Amino acid sequence: MRKNPIGTTARVVGVLVALGLAVFPLYWMFVTSLTSDHNLFGNHVQLLPDLSRIGVYAHALVSQDVVRWLRNSLIIAAGTCLLSIGLAVPVGYALSRFSFRGKGSVALGLFLTQMLPEALLVVPLFAFFRTLGLIDSLPGLILADTAFVLPIVAFILKGAIDGIPRELEEAARVDGCRPLDVLTRINLPLIAPSVAAGAVIAFFSGWNEYVFAVTFVSDPSKQPASVGVASFIGELSTPTQTLMAVALMYTLPAVVFYLIAQRHVVAGMTAGGVKG
Amino acid sequence: MVTVSTRVDGDPSTRHGAEKRRKSPLGSRWTPYLFAAPAVIYLVVFQAFPLIQELRFSFTRTSLYTPNDNVWVGLANYLSVIGSSTFHQTVQVTIVYVVVCVVGAVGVGLGTALLLNGEFRGRGVARALMAIPWAAPAVAVALIATWMLNAQYGVVNRLLAAVGLAVPGGLILESPGRALPAILVTTIWELFPFCSVVMLAALQGVPQEVREAATMDGAGPWWSFRVVTWPVIRPTVDLLVLLMTIWSIRRFELIWLMTQGGPVGTTNTLVIDLYSTGFQLFDLGKAAAIGMVGLVVSLVVVIAGRFVSRRAEQEVSR
Amino acid sequence: MKWTKTSTAIAIAGAVGMALAGCSGGSSTGGSSTSGAPVTLRFAAVTLTEAGRGPALKAWLQEFNDSQNKIKVVPDGIPFATFAQTVLTQMGAGSGPDLIRFDISTFEQAAASNLLAPLDSMIDASKYDLIKGPDSYNIVNGKRYGFSFDTTSYALIYNKDLISTPPTTFDELLATAKAATKNGVYGMAFRQTAAEEPGMMQDLFNYVYGYGGDFGDGHKLTLNSPKVVQGLEAYQKLYDANVIPKGASAATYRQMFGQNKVAINIDNGGVPSILLGENPNLHLGAAPDPFPVKAQGGILTPLAINAASPHQAEAATFIKWMLEPANQVKLQQIMGAESVATHTTRSAAELAKAPYLKVFDDLVATAKPQLINGFAAKTPDIDKIIVDQVLSALQGQQTMQAAMDKAQQLATAVVSG
Repeated sequence: MRKNPIGTTARVVGVLVALGLAVFPLYWMFVTSLTSDHNLFGNHVQLLPDLSRIGVYAHALVSQDVVRWLRNSLIIAAGTCLLSIGLAVPVGYALSRFSFRGKGSVALGLFLTQMLPEALLVVPLFAFFRTLGLIDSLPGLILADTAFVLPIVAFILKGAIDGIPRELEEAARVDGCRPLDVLTRINLPLIAPSVAAGAVIAFFSGWNEYVFAVTFVSDPSKQPASVGVASFIGELSTPTQTLMAVALMYTLPAVVFYLIAQRHVVAGMTAGGVKG
Repeated sequence: MVTVSTRVDGDPSTRHGAEKRRKSPLGSRWTPYLFAAPAVIYLVVFQAFPLIQELRFSFTRTSLYTPNDNVWVGLANYLSVIGSSTFHQTVQVTIVYVVVCVVGAVGVGLGTALLLNGEFRGRGVARALMAIPWAAPAVAVALIATWMLNAQYGVVNRLLAAVGLAVPGGLILESPGRALPAILVTTIWELFPFCSVVMLAALQGVPQEVREAATMDGAGPWWSFRVVTWPVIRPTVDLLVLLMTIWSIRRFELIWLMTQGGPVGTTNTLVIDLYSTGFQLFDLGKAAAIGMVGLVVSLVVVIAGRFVSRRAEQEVSR
Repeated sequence: MKWTKTSTAIAIAGAVGMALAGCSGGSSTGGSSTSGAPVTLRFAAVTLTEAGRGPALKAWLQEFNDSQNKIKVVPDGIPFATFAQTVLTQMGAGSGPDLIRFDISTFEQAAASNLLAPLDSMIDASKYDLIKGPDSYNIVNGKRYGFSFDTTSYALIYNKDLISTPPTTFDELLATAKAATKNGVYGMAFRQTAAEEPGMMQDLFNYVYGYGGDFGDGHKLTLNSPKVVQGLEAYQKLYDANVIPKGASAATYRQMFGQNKVAINIDNGGVPSILLGENPNLHLGAAPDPFPVKAQGGILTPLAINAASPHQAEAATFIKWMLEPANQVKLQQIMGAESVATHTTRSAAELAKAPYLKVFDDLVATAKPQLINGFAAKTPDIDKIIVDQVLSALQGQQTMQAAMDKAQQLATAVVSG
């Protein structure tokens, strides 16, 4: 039955179509960046990239602050990633393993904060951040971004810890491990894939974030790629090709990061997501 | 990251005193609080306090020009929001956007997960590539989507024309009837891979032997999906529905950069409305009121979603 | 001042939270200045983000930095779309750039909200040969809050390879645009999408002013007055004539213009230099708008000092440097077909090389700021209402008259409520 050739063909076709749709826009970004003005505004579609125009990337890299934008985005994303995991692991553990007064409120609070849109809190957060001296600073953006991604990461990690048999912990406790050691030595290694999944989500969140970055940062040396790329949309006459080249350079690091982490992500979701 | 350098020594005296230890105040009663505290304090500082500030704003006349100058106006902002001629449309757009995003993203995600679940050559590559839209930043997606949907040179219009479905004037994002569908497709494109990955993970929990046994017994694929697969992935579907709901309600960049809520308010979700009121019209008080109303709407949608999902489950398992 | 108190409380709580989280605070350094070093001033302007004029403007700022060693002006390019949001959020919270090049409506509001430093005591305006018309808008409630950075009028620009003589009446414009629309070329282009609301509003002003209309008479709104509706109907006629690339953003159609794909465009004086910078072989001509009344929109951009800046005296020093004749001339050369704060004379060589400059220069006298006359404070709200209603008329959902009747009603509610 499973060797049914029709079923196999249908699946192959289905997979190919789905893959085509998933990848096409990025491919199109690439093609557009390597299209001459003549073809861009011509009557026919140019379906293949004109590789002789690859210089547009070098040109964009040199003239458009792209390297600095990407570096800032990387710092923000990595910082958001580390801080979210650092905060989410303990709270996930507390929610999974202990029963304590206020546990329900903590879980509900996490859930509710996940519903807040960034745009709602921009102005009050700006005032706090100014008091903290965190305006025009990358750490400021890390702190803001973490607040919005922490709840989901915490839920994933809670789910993952739920999936670890308590017996392992009991044994460790009997051996005299303290709670923190139990967490770091017994649980953390076992939930590593879920930590990776959470890390990917947090990384993307920091890498993509736009609203805070556009409001809290006006010093060009601190601007991340989201703001840099978006700044091209508007009144200026930036050639579409440059726009696409820069957008693609902004997209690729996130894609590469995902491809590196993806094995763990699937495994991590298995452990964390299902029981959530 | 939390790093710990304490060395654990296997003191034999505690070995049999585990029960006692757990009841001691330091070892156990305060432990969960210590673990939860950093995240809770963090969220109180960076979410709860600003939210309270925002709640206060919503009862005042406050301009972005003078955020410290708050004139108490009671419910005036709320009345103005709810009484506005466009409020009905904004809520409707929000709900349509959320519902279609959730159904679309979870549906396509489940479909692709089922496709990718079996054994076949190149499965690893296919799984990796399928997730790419999730990794693409919203700002970049908005850019390429806008270009692909361009009326004159967009590849989508040329494709539609080629198959005889040409849109008048090629206007998609500029047309009140087509802008929202276009944005929905873009959003679902960006969201479905996440659902797919999570669902794929959940499918690993489906006992393959049972499925095969069911198929051997002559059960159709639908029946075997319903009886064997669905019960296993059901909690995941629930979770995804919840997550997609919340994320869709919050979604901002994609819509803002593609249409700014237009044309004629047809893509104006509550978050877009909140943002344009606060940062284009500089009316922080009213923006805050929209935000608060938005939170209530979100809660209603989430609770309704849970309810519908429960009912659907009862239908399916019947 | 509850705000401050809460902020402080939260700052402390935040510090505790961060300590608990073990967050070291990141790697980047702030803008700390050591003693003896020059005072650093942040200069915020949209122009700094532009491809052609941005770098030139930065070089001009560098000339100031090189001219002395006490003050260092740092360019702070903020994109057009988010400029008001970014700058106002910061200024409202008592921080932000020291020097800001505003658009006129944000400027008026910021001045009225005491966010800007009054300049009368710091700079003696009578010492400079200021251009009176635009300069009058730098004075709000009797006090001077800014000096014009650049002022530009709108004018019709056309591609000489596609059109031999520019149209002088609306009918000619329509006919020329129709004739030019073929083989993938569009006769005209302008903004007509909600995604470009501020830009679309700028375009609408040309039609309204060009038909003798005004959105307000100084005391009450006149959104549905006959001349306004007439102007907007002219705009709609061009839209309905299918002579424009509908849906194309300004960035796209300006690129198309440079590629000989768009024949006519009514745009501001910054655009020709951008286009010629990108496309040196473009044959660009300019002419006054072909509308019955010789009036068109103009972009006024005052340079102001942030009231919260700790370095107001230094910022004033920079403005004085800017107003020196030699630096005014240089600034004008950078900005293109625009005028600056004071009267300047372009060299004959410059005018011979770029005849379009004279067209734009002459039109500054009849350019009117893109404000809702009498309702500057509510301009953003009213702009949004107008754009929404005009768009619905373009979509055929109602006539332009009905759209503006509705806009008048909605806007009246906004200004009275």
